[in-house]
Order: sequence, then structure tokens, then C-alpha cells
Amino acid sequence: MAASDEVNLIESRTVVPLNTWVLISNFKLAYNLLRRPDGTFNRHLAEFLDRKVSANANPVDGVFSFDVLIDRSINLLSRVYRPVYTDQEQPPSVLELEKPVDGEIVPVILFFHGGSFAHSSANSAIYDTLCRRLVGVCKCVVVSVNYRRAPENPYPCAYDDGWIALNWVNSRSWLKSKKDSKVHIFLAGDSSGGNIAHNVALKAGESGINVLGNILLNPMFGGIERTESEKRLDGKYFVTVRDRDWYWKAFLPEGEDREHPACNPFSPRGKSLEGVSFPKSLVVVAGLDLIHDWQLAYAEGLKKAGQEVKLMHLEKATIGFYLLPNNIHFHNVMDEISAFVNAESCG
Amino acid sequence: MKRSHQETSSVQEAPSISTNKKIKLKEEDDNMDDELLAALGYNVRSSDMADVAHKLEQLEMVLSNDDNAFNYNNTVHYNPSDLSVWAHTMLYPDLDPTRTTPSDECTTSNKRIRLGDSAYTESTTTRPVVLFYDSQETGVRLVQALVACAEAVQTENLSLAEALVKRVGSLAASQVGAMGKVATFFAEALARRIYKIHPSSVAAIDPSFEEILQMHFYDSTPYLKFAHFTANQAILEAVTTARVVHVIDLGINQGMQWPALMQALALRHGGPPSFRLTGVGHSEGIQQLGWKLAQLAQAIGVEFEFKALTVERLTDLEPEMFETRPESETVVVNSVFEFHTVLSQPGSIEKLFATVKAVKPVIITVVEQEANHNGVVFLERFNESLHYYSSLFDSLEDGVLLPSQDRVMSEAYIGRQILNVVATEGVDRTERHETLVQWRKRFGLAGFVPVNLGSDAFKQASLLLEIFGGGDGYRVEENDGSLMLAWQMRPIIATSAWKLRGGRG
Repeated sequence: MAASDEVNLIESRTVVPLNTWVLISNFKLAYNLLRRPDGTFNRHLAEFLDRKVSANANPVDGVFSFDVLIDRSINLLSRVYRPVYTDQEQPPSVLELEKPVDGEIVPVILFFHGGSFAHSSANSAIYDTLCRRLVGVCKCVVVSVNYRRAPENPYPCAYDDGWIALNWVNSRSWLKSKKDSKVHIFLAGDSSGGNIAHNVALKAGESGINVLGNILLNPMFGGIERTESEKRLDGKYFVTVRDRDWYWKAFLPEGEDREHPACNPFSPRGKSLEGVSFPKSLVVVAGLDLIHDWQLAYAEGLKKAGQEVKLMHLEKATIGFYLLPNNIHFHNVMDEISAFVNAESCG
Repeated sequence: MKRSHQETSSVQEAPSISTNKKIKLKEEDDNMDDELLAALGYNVRSSDMADVAHKLEQLEMVLSNDDNAFNYNNTVHYNPSDLSVWAHTMLYPDLDPTRTTPSDECTTSNKRIRLGDSAYTESTTTRPVVLFYDSQETGVRLVQALVACAEAVQTENLSLAEALVKRVGSLAASQVGAMGKVATFFAEALARRIYKIHPSSVAAIDPSFEEILQMHFYDSTPYLKFAHFTANQAILEAVTTARVVHVIDLGINQGMQWPALMQALALRHGGPPSFRLTGVGHSEGIQQLGWKLAQLAQAIGVEFEFKALTVERLTDLEPEMFETRPESETVVVNSVFEFHTVLSQPGSIEKLFATVKAVKPVIITVVEQEANHNGVVFLERFNESLHYYSSLFDSLEDGVLLPSQDRVMSEAYIGRQILNVVATEGVDRTERHETLVQWRKRFGLAGFVPVNLGSDAFKQASLLLEIFGGGDGYRVEENDGSLMLAWQMRPIIATSAWKLRGGRG
């Protein structure tokens, strides 16, 4: 093994707690086994290795969850997370799952898990845990979409599923805030989930569904050129340019390159966001994520188009910092997200 | 001086106790699983973290060589939750990965997670209430009436319950789809409870009719196929070098599990072992079944011996009845939906465990419904079974159009379970399903350790599902060495394998 590889390993060990390093390295190595050079994906092994948890209507730490089949024709499932009802002693019966939200303003976060469009599910343990934390921190409802994944279901399947889920959430009477009898929706996602959130928000703007805000955690964007951060950080902190290329090839339509607007919303092929109805965005960028130049460019692009954007650039954070609550970035970001979705109630 | 010494000594005692306590806590901490990783499904002891990290580094070096990476294409993986073992077996593939780690030598009930801190405390993991529903098919009023009726039964308000059960009946009749059918069965069960019509014990209906119902269930859904398939995989892996394989099937029924195993044994590299099958059951047809299997064995060139053991209850079994030949044969015990039945009587499960241990099996394959239908409180049992059987019925509705007879028989098969869970009590209530977490505790306390099912079994079961499944909603899930079949992310049945602690294998 090259000496530089050895250095890379040691470097990444110094910037994250040991258990985080073990967690993310395990993912990295397992994922290496799943991506085949010919572009196919070892889905069976992926599902075998993924740690999953069931929904649980019995509240745990003040949060309970249940699964809903949103659209049977495409088998689209979502997992709903709610804070436990204040007057509740027993786990809610099936009737009480859809008890109307109790508050003048109750934010509902429509969440898209990450995994570079190919990995993970709504019932993956890492995302079940993250969604539960979001409910606890923000005092909101979270709906996590089990969208179809690449390479079996490439663009635009994930976006279509997100759009169906948005319409479903928007039309649930039990999710309406008392103040205006409307569902107060935020879109959120990490990695590919952030990308999906952006694209669903675009469609929402065109169709008149009001999305109050976008929360993008280490969103997955890219482009044709190799940016400075990609060159400098390639292979250093769990991620390589090569694996990024693989996932884009798996997601984008056959024959397309990374100038496709799904990959690079601000490429010449992308639609201008100037004057477009688009929610305010919270964009969280990890400085040690090799695609952070693309993420910063995204935030900049939104700003230039006159859209409201708050950028959190965490220079020392790596990918996946939000999966474990053992670092300062995690807590800072959770606080920001809470402020972001509760801005209406406070302002 | 003495006095102050006494004083100081009494003061000193306190710190030394607390210091010991602190040290002990630290040791316990180190021996505890890292809480944060445990919440994400990975069991890594804090004291092992650095070692696991080191192994992952080494593994990275190995995998970065493309030639090596290719060699890993055919690796069989086991229990990804146990990172230490997983990383180790990736580095040293010759190690037997189904072998449990030394940590499993303690009872598996000791999950090493600090209670009260982590979100996954014992009490919550043993009682998750898993709910799934189809938002396009509401039937809210029907479910409302059902739950209200069950509540009335719980509080013994029988006149209210009676009124409600009639309402459920009429609502169910006009409800299309799975919900209507489920509600009809639950309504019948509630009615029996209200009117105190006790279905008599298990032997009430002709056992062979029960078996016919199960056969239809086998034909029209993937659950039993999955159960047999995964259990057989585990058995095959455990008997690779055996010259004589003796399978004790605790519920032989129509013997549908065994032709496939026999065929696999017939094709074994190096020639088939002799196959002995002891079928436990209570129908008259067992002998005939044995005869049919013997004919099959002869046709495929496998030496075969069959014995029928007709008993009223599994606890009537004594080790001598199996007539095992320890010097020459390898014993396997197989149970598909049988273990839970003995939970209806105190002391019975212990007796059954003792009997199983006495025959010294090299592996015990167990398939059980993944649900807790053995709670003490009726209303809790009602709610959990309502959710479980709603999912099960939902899976029947989906997919390939079933011949109506298959569907009706399958529904009747499930319906009988519902009646038992909801309408019976005491020794008559034999459908005492418990979850994998609960069974792990029981088996651990009884002196068994898990045998992990691997990624090859997972993959083959998944492929089998695609062929026979019928619906897109089925998924195989791996859970700490066991495999589960889930419908729409809701586990329905679980296959696990066990062996005696300290035993060979």
C-alpha cells in the first residue's frame, strides 16, 4: 500500500472520535464491496449488511413511529415519527396514530435519507435514529421517505417518489397546524437526500405547494470539472472521487454526464432560480467532505439568484458527523435546524 | 491517636468502596458495548474499539488491491452487527464465522447495553408495537369499533362489548379488502369471548384438516417456503461432514420441508449421508407420510429411515423416544411454529429445552412468528395481534391472483390463530408467539448460543421470494445472525439457529 494511503488513514483517524471512525470506515469498506465495476450493484449483500429497525408505536425517549404505505402501485413506504402525546400513557392505538397535531404551528419535516441514491432505506438504523433526534430537538413531525434507489431505479424515480410524498404530506388533515389549517412543510435530507429535497422544492414551487424551508446536510451535488476540494481531499476522509463518479453514473440517465441539472443544478443546463418560488435554505457543508466546493457553489448559486440561504460551513467536519451526537458539529447543526423550522413560532 | 485512626479508618472505608465501585464501573464500561454504535445496530465493546479500528485499517489495505477485492465476491458474510468478528473473518477467511464470539458465552440476554441510558433499553426492545397500514384503505370506523370493543372486553363491560361487536360485524361486511377480512375474524374472536364460547383445545378440529389448511398457506404465500428454505440452509451448513444425519422435526405436518433437504443431501459432494427423520405430530397420516418420503429417498439414492412419534403435547416427549445413536449420527432438531405452543403451561418450555439438550443436537433450527402475542394484558395482546394479522392479510391481498380456494384456506389457517390468540386463555391458548428478542433470552438462559445465518442464505431466500413471492412488499432482513421475512418493513416470521454452549460445530 502506498505511503500516502497510510497517511490518509491516520489523518482521518485524528479528526473524528474513534467510534465515528469505525462506523464510517465500516460503511466505506462495505460499500466498496457492493459497487461493481460494470455499474451493477450487489443489492442482496447491501440489504444483508444494512442494519434496520422496525417502526415502534411504543414511545422511546418521547418519540414513536409507524409505517405508512403511501402509494401501493410503486410500493412507496414512509415512516412517520411523532412526539408522544402529552396525555398518553399507553402506546397509541392504530386510531390514534393520526391524531391531529396539537399546536398552533407544528412543523412537519419531509426527510430524504442519504446513501448516494443507492444505499440505505427509511428503516436503516442510522436514519431511524437521526429522524428520532430531529423530532426530539425540533418538536416536530418527521416523515421519512423510502424512495426508490439507483442503479435499479435511476433518475427521476427518487424525485418522483419525493413529489408523491410531498403531496401526501400536504394533504393529511391530521398534519395541519391549528393556526391556518395548513401543513407547515420543510424538506430535509443528507447527501443524496439533500439533492432530492432541492429538486422536490423546485417542483413544489412550480406547482403551488408551499414549502417553508429546505434543510440540506452535506447535499450531494457534482459537476464535470474536478474542483480543488475534490483533488485535495480525494481518498483522505472516507470518500473518493472514483466512488462519487460511480454513484452519478448509476443515478443519471444512460449517456448523461455530470452537467445534467440533477447533478449540477447551476450548470448551463440547469434552470435559473431567479424570481422562482423557492423556499429559504439551510445548507450545511462539512469542510472535509471532498465535494464541499460543489456544495458551497450551490449555496452561492442560490444567493446569486436572490434566494434566501443560510450557510453553515463546518471546516473540520467530515461526512456523517450528524450520525452520532459525539461531536460539537452535531449539536451546533441540531440547534440551527431547530431554530430554522421553529422560526415562525418565535418570530 | 487511636481515636483519630479509627475516625480516619471509617472515613477511609467510604472512599475505598467508592474507588472500587469506580474501578468496577470502568471495567463494566469497557466490557459494555459502545452505546452510540449499539443504537445504530453495531455491537462493539468499548474495549475492542481500537482493535476493530485496526482491523478495518488492515482490511482497507487488503481491499485496495483490486485482485483481492475480486476474491471477496464470493465471500459469505455473517452477522454484520458484530463488527469485530466481521472484520476479523474478512481478514482471515478460514475462520468459521458461524462460530459465536467468546462474548456470547455469557447468556445472550445480557446484551451489555447500559439500561436506562440508551434508547434501546430492554423493556422497549421486548415490546415494540410495530404498525403498518395502507393509507389508501382506511376503514377507520371499523377499526374504531374493534378497538372500542376490545377495550370494553378488557374492562368487562360486556353489554357495551356486545353492542360494539355487532357493529363491527356489520361494518366488516361492507369493508373491502384485507381490513374487512381481518376484522371479521377478530369480531368472531371477540364474540366468543363475550358470549363465553370457548373453542375447545387444539385437538378440536381434525389435525389432518389443520394440516390441509397449512398446506394451502404454504402454497399461496412465501412464509412457510421461506421458513423451510432458511432452516434447511442452516441444517446443511451444520452437517457438511456428517455420515448419518438424524433430523427430529417437532412438527412434521405434511413433511413439506424435507424433500428439498433430501435432494440437497443427495447432491452432496462426495455422496449423500444416510438420512433419518423422526417426525413428531398428532395426526394419523404420519406413517403414510414416512412411506412417501421413503419412496422419494429411494428414487434419489439416499439411505432413509423414518420414525413417527405421535404425542398429545410436545412436553410428552422424552429423549429416549428418539432412540438417537450418538456414536454414529449427527442430530438436528427442527421446529417451525412449534416452540411457542409449549408456553401455555408453566414449566413446559424448560422441559422441552431439557429434552432437546439431551439428544445433543449439533444445531437447532427454529422458525417463529415475529410478534409478541403472549402479553398478560388482553388489550395489549389484542392490539398487537390486530396489527400483526392486518399486515399478514395485507400481504395475502397483494400480488399474484390466488385461486380462490387457496386464499380462503390460507385465511382460515390464519383465522384459527387469531381465534386462539384473542378468544382463548390458559392451556388452550397455544398461539403464544414471542419475538426474536424474547426467544434469544429464553434460549440463552437455557444454555444455547446462536448459530449465525449468512449472506448466502439471505441472498438465496431473497431470490426465492422474487420467484414465489407474489408481491413487491416482501423483504428479507438480517438481524443479529437471524433472518426475518418482512412485509412492508414489518417482520412477520424469523428463522434462528442454535447450538449447545460449548458443543461441537
